[in-house]
Amino acid sequence: MDLNRRDFLKSASLATAATATACTIDARTPIEHVLPYVQMPEDELPGTATYFSTACGECASGCGAVARAKEGRVVMVEGNPDWTEGHGLCTRGHFGLVGAYSPERVEGPVTGGANLDWDTALQRVAEAVKAAQAAGKSVAWLGNYRTGSLDTLLGEFGTATGLRRVHWEAFGVESLLAASRAAFGVATLPTYELANAQVILSFGMDFLGTAYGAMGMSKGWSSAKNPANGGFVTRLVCVEPRAGVTAAQSDHFLPPNPGTELAVALAIAKLAADKVKYPNAALLAAVDVSAAAQASGISEEKLNEVAVWITDKASVILPGGPANAGTSSSDLAAVTYLLNDICGNIGKTVVFGKEQSYGTVSAYADAKALLDDARAGKVGVLFIDGANPVYNLPAEDKAAEALAAVGLVVQFANEPDDSTTPATLLLPPGSSLEGWGDANVTSGVHTLQQPGMTPLKLSRTVGDVLLGVAKLLALPEPSARSNVEFSVGDGSVVPGSEVYTPSTVAQQPMGFAHESFRVYVQERWKRRVWDGVGTFDTWWVGVRQKGGSFNPAAASALPLTLAALPALPAAIAGAELALCIFPSSNFGDGRYSNRPWAQELPDPISTSSWGSWAEIHPKTVAALGLRETDSIKVKTAVGEVTLGYFATPGVREDTVAIVYGNGHTNVGRYGTGRGVNPLSLISSAVDGGSGALATYTTRAAVTRSDVTSDFFALSGNLTMDGRPVAVACSADEAVAQPTGKAGSVLHLHEPEWDKRLDDANIHDFFPEPQHPTYRFAMAIDLNSCTGCGACIAACALENNIPFVGPDQVRRGRGMSWIRMDRFIEGEGEHLDIRHLPSMCQHCSHAPCEGVCPVLATYHNLDGLNAMIYNRCVGTRYCANNCPYTVRRFNYHTWTWPESMYLMLNPDVSVREMGVMEKCTYCVQRTRSVKDSWRDVHETVPDKALEKLTACASACPTQSITFGNLKDSAGTVSKLFLNPRTYTLFGELNTKPGTRYLAKARHHLAGGAPAHGSPAHGSPAHGSPAHGAPAHGEPTHGLPAAPESGHGSPAEHKEG
Amino acid sequence: MKNLTYKDVNKDVLRPLFTPDYAYLGVLGATLTVLVVTGLCWLYQMVYGLGVAGYHPPVFWGVYITTFVFWIGIGHAGTLISAVLFLTRSRWRTGVYRAAEAMTIFAVMTAALFPAIHVGRAWYAYWLFPYPNQRQLWQNFKSPLMWDVFAVSTYFTVSTIFFAIGLVPDIASVRDSTTGFTKKLYGVMAMGWRGTDRQWHHYMAAYGFFAAIATPLVLSVHSVVSWDFAMADTPGWHSTIFPPYFVAGAIFSGCAMVITLMLPLSILFKLEDYIHVWHFEHLAKLCVFTGGILTYAYGTEYYVAWYSDNQYEWGTFMDRVYGKYWWVFAVMVFCNCIAPLVWWFKKVRTNYVGLFVVSLIINVGMWFERFNIIASSLAHNFDPAGWVYYYPTWVEGGILVMSFAWFFLWFLLFVKIMPSVAIAEVKEAMRPPLKYEPEHAAK
Repeated sequence: MDLNRRDFLKSASLATAATATACTIDARTPIEHVLPYVQMPEDELPGTATYFSTACGECASGCGAVARAKEGRVVMVEGNPDWTEGHGLCTRGHFGLVGAYSPERVEGPVTGGANLDWDTALQRVAEAVKAAQAAGKSVAWLGNYRTGSLDTLLGEFGTATGLRRVHWEAFGVESLLAASRAAFGVATLPTYELANAQVILSFGMDFLGTAYGAMGMSKGWSSAKNPANGGFVTRLVCVEPRAGVTAAQSDHFLPPNPGTELAVALAIAKLAADKVKYPNAALLAAVDVSAAAQASGISEEKLNEVAVWITDKASVILPGGPANAGTSSSDLAAVTYLLNDICGNIGKTVVFGKEQSYGTVSAYADAKALLDDARAGKVGVLFIDGANPVYNLPAEDKAAEALAAVGLVVQFANEPDDSTTPATLLLPPGSSLEGWGDANVTSGVHTLQQPGMTPLKLSRTVGDVLLGVAKLLALPEPSARSNVEFSVGDGSVVPGSEVYTPSTVAQQPMGFAHESFRVYVQERWKRRVWDGVGTFDTWWVGVRQKGGSFNPAAASALPLTLAALPALPAAIAGAELALCIFPSSNFGDGRYSNRPWAQELPDPISTSSWGSWAEIHPKTVAALGLRETDSIKVKTAVGEVTLGYFATPGVREDTVAIVYGNGHTNVGRYGTGRGVNPLSLISSAVDGGSGALATYTTRAAVTRSDVTSDFFALSGNLTMDGRPVAVACSADEAVAQPTGKAGSVLHLHEPEWDKRLDDANIHDFFPEPQHPTYRFAMAIDLNSCTGCGACIAACALENNIPFVGPDQVRRGRGMSWIRMDRFIEGEGEHLDIRHLPSMCQHCSHAPCEGVCPVLATYHNLDGLNAMIYNRCVGTRYCANNCPYTVRRFNYHTWTWPESMYLMLNPDVSVREMGVMEKCTYCVQRTRSVKDSWRDVHETVPDKALEKLTACASACPTQSITFGNLKDSAGTVSKLFLNPRTYTLFGELNTKPGTRYLAKARHHLAGGAPAHGSPAHGSPAHGSPAHGAPAHGEPTHGLPAAPESGHGSPAEHKEG
Repeated sequence: MKNLTYKDVNKDVLRPLFTPDYAYLGVLGATLTVLVVTGLCWLYQMVYGLGVAGYHPPVFWGVYITTFVFWIGIGHAGTLISAVLFLTRSRWRTGVYRAAEAMTIFAVMTAALFPAIHVGRAWYAYWLFPYPNQRQLWQNFKSPLMWDVFAVSTYFTVSTIFFAIGLVPDIASVRDSTTGFTKKLYGVMAMGWRGTDRQWHHYMAAYGFFAAIATPLVLSVHSVVSWDFAMADTPGWHSTIFPPYFVAGAIFSGCAMVITLMLPLSILFKLEDYIHVWHFEHLAKLCVFTGGILTYAYGTEYYVAWYSDNQYEWGTFMDRVYGKYWWVFAVMVFCNCIAPLVWWFKKVRTNYVGLFVVSLIINVGMWFERFNIIASSLAHNFDPAGWVYYYPTWVEGGILVMSFAWFFLWFLLFVKIMPSVAIAEVKEAMRPPLKYEPEHAAK
């Protein structure tokens, strides 16, 4: 070739440049530009978080929360430890953050696809109100429950404008309130103090899940579950057709024949009344116990046994929830009050004084009446606040038609939903993390909602809008006290009800002359919450730091005034399957369906996600000849739906239970067109006593459908197959040795625990890893774990865990660092559902570490099994070798939709395609807390570690405890010595940092096999899947003997 | 053997090197096309991530590792036939050892693709090699994957050298039959081979020496590969029987693959005179023997699982038979344990159809054996909540086909440029030509 020197140099430099360019541009790791602040915001230290104590605004419970802001945006929401009425935050509360960054949020006021400025929008509202008033049409409000300042403002606004207020929520509390009215003559709900209840009899209340007040009851229940608190393990009896989150925890699952719950309650009441010589026993004279037993299918002996339990010990009887929402749900609730009175629980476990109110509460019948009037053209302006009538009302009610007949629909919503039409005036109120507000549910407990960041969009809170409209309407300052009323199904007003409602306590009216809702809230707190001690400003600073004023009122009793017994309803007749509709654990009544993380979070029972499913009994499956891929068609007189099914013994054979929460027609990209809306199956039948929607009244024909099922369960096997995974022991054993230092050979890690092994001359081949100051560890008490998923939600937000979508989740590629194992064993009364949250166990002898060829994972001095994402090549050997299968692999480049990038926690790196990741024990938090204590030359104290990780902080039942094993006085060190503690797959000698405490179940007592009790590290004798047959062999006491546990993993193979 | 002269041997064996017919070109073209098309699957996977494969955690290893082990296994027969049978002076190796060795090298080259295909970040796969770097990063020599890197690369190196040495006299033959640039090229490769007594003396010493070095590798490579599994704690993997069991399986599949490859080769290039049924029959016997070992190992696995009384182990083994992967197990048992039994009949093992069909069945069976070990064990791990059913996607299918195309491409190129039967050794086995040939002996 003829190449001179110059040409050679030219081509060589060209080639070099090309190579260099090719190397610089790597599409897989996008280049990011980090820019410094031009003007530093005040009080802002880059990299340092700012915490705002606030109230969770996702539902009316108003739980205390702490928002963690970094560089001006909230990146995490957690429970407020100062709040007295619960611990942690539920999944729905955590995902409020996802709602705040939703890509679907509108930029500002919108109507007909056009953006408006706020002045114009308010003008339009005011004009429409004036026009409606002039035309003699009503101005109406259809919204969710509101307490606190907004309730006050609405009350006064309503009085001044003649607003017709309807506050209705699907699966709301109206029937319970009607029962309160019937039984006690009050319009508030008692608070259930479960911590002292040794026996809990629940008629369908989902008090560990979706029920109002669940956070408080979860906290109380977990305390009652712990034998260290009071020396008992509470016994839970559930009378409902389907085992949801709550009934999954039951010791006795008693599903009665559909429609006979009231008969069961009355029969138990009669038996109990006889036992305690109830003074008003005459009330129950007409109750026929044997007829009830006959009708319900629950034997008389069992009813009697339950009556003995609840009368013998401190008990609590909980009213019907979504599972028992029949045509007599308020009657059922009233009978539970009677039962509580019989058992002497009023004032002890069922308390007034410290009672609960959800502001103005309307019944379904009110909402229906409002929409009927709207359809008739009688409504000029309809404000919709959080409600979604088109979705939440039965399809039969044709809410969309009614809305179309309204002059102006003003909807307070951050993003359009099923009820939004082009004509709707959409006013975004902003996320609860962006605006001021407050809540007051339990008397004396006020939570203050303060913004953690500037609104991302041009939003205004509902309160600000009302104040603005009031100004434009020149509403007169109210002179009389606010006139908040409790209305029942027929629209009548309950006299005297406001006396008991904290928000309607006779006080001076607030008026409308406030420059903003923030000022309004502050002013109202000054007038109605402040105790008048010291200066208000000082007090207010304290309130803002604490997140509210938490002085729960003293518990007191009320006399039962129930005069007559309700009539028994007819059983839900028919040969077909009874239809039971239950709210989704992740999106309640469907209002959170457009949150991708909520969609992806597996349901605690079915472990399905991104859709709807029906739960049917395996015998039904067999009778219908269903294959795994088949769907079922559920048909009633009103409508039909086709959906996938989940076969579980946790539902009656004659019942089909359908999840509610999906099946939207328009809620944005994540929720639309996903699953089915079971409300299209029911007519608008109501509960006679309250006007509540009766969702458990019909039977449905279930047939096989040719449509391929889209159902999938993330938990692979229904049962444990005889393996000691989620271990349980009998409640008696747990009580016998609540905290005793019996020890077990399963405690392998620390030197003092290793001593027995040393004595036995058993040594490890490899030396122990060194942990000079810290050995971080975690204890998870399965006894109180409900599988709710709050830990998963918190973990996802804290650690920037992406959602992967239905197609990937179906392939098991969900990225959640915590996997919630769910096992369903047994059947009937002794249905045994267990959950096991499993995340990286941070083993001292980690199987993953040895096999990584590039040392991307290693054991560090804090006892963490650390992971270097940048070093990972992605051989996935570590994941194969992890017996806990807790490692997650990035199969694709996961993306966050536009605005959700703002949600990322800057303390945690986002992982790229092709690398492995897993739980880090929130290493960013442990590092940060270690650093701050190192500044004062101290090791981190136990208190600062206990609830440090996102999961521990989130857990509503406080089942997760974090700590330092080197601190032998620490909580975790003590828990590790608890006799219930065991090591998952301990025989592998991985020496994990995470240990579990066995579940204590009452029905495992009396020689029944304690499936793989921790003493053995081996499975049960006989298959738990086959109804846990009684076994001749005596149940061993809790572990003391080190004879097994690390030796043979299986003494009994047949599983 | 017909009465062939040395000249005939040269002519016959070297014929493919000079006269590419249309059949050859057609097969080559088809292979190339398949390689390019299926190669795009890999590209697709690189761009979009491993998620395009069927991985269903906790099944983190699937078709790729299965295929990796499959090819490593195929790569076993070459060294066995050339080195071990050389040392034991088994005469039947002469006809087949050259192609078997080539097959070994190409199989290892194919297998070597798979770690790169399999890892999440293929562009960093070189981190598996310990090399001095400024980041002071080093490898974990505790990891069986690292052992793999060394075992496979050692095996590849030694096999290649052994192959190259064996080729020297034959390359010289090629050199002598060519002209021009080709002659120069072969001349360099022949390293000045003249065929003198002195050269033969040294050559035979070196050849024996390398055969001795290569022999332990027959045992080591697949033992080390088996440790990828045996060293893990996964039930169904964690077993001391794996090394011998894998080695037997590798020889089994390797010999079957030699039959699968050489049968068509001998017909296509009319080499029936040099590679004939006698050779194949011996390979078939070896297969029957190793297949027996394999069947015994399968049984032992079940016995040990039962005897250990370890519920995880037993659960996994029961799941293989009765679980969702029952069909994989059935295919494996049929192909590896039952099908080869027909070779007990001389009629079948001396029949081209019988040889070819059963060898194909064995190849399929051995692929499924690895799939059975890898996928079904992972899919039925310790935690029942993690039990899944993994099945491959079209991308994995494409890449599996790609591996065959890649392998066949090399093999086709090999038969075109190298003598696929060892000329010198064939000649050795013949009656040497005499200066004055008796007339009757020429017949």
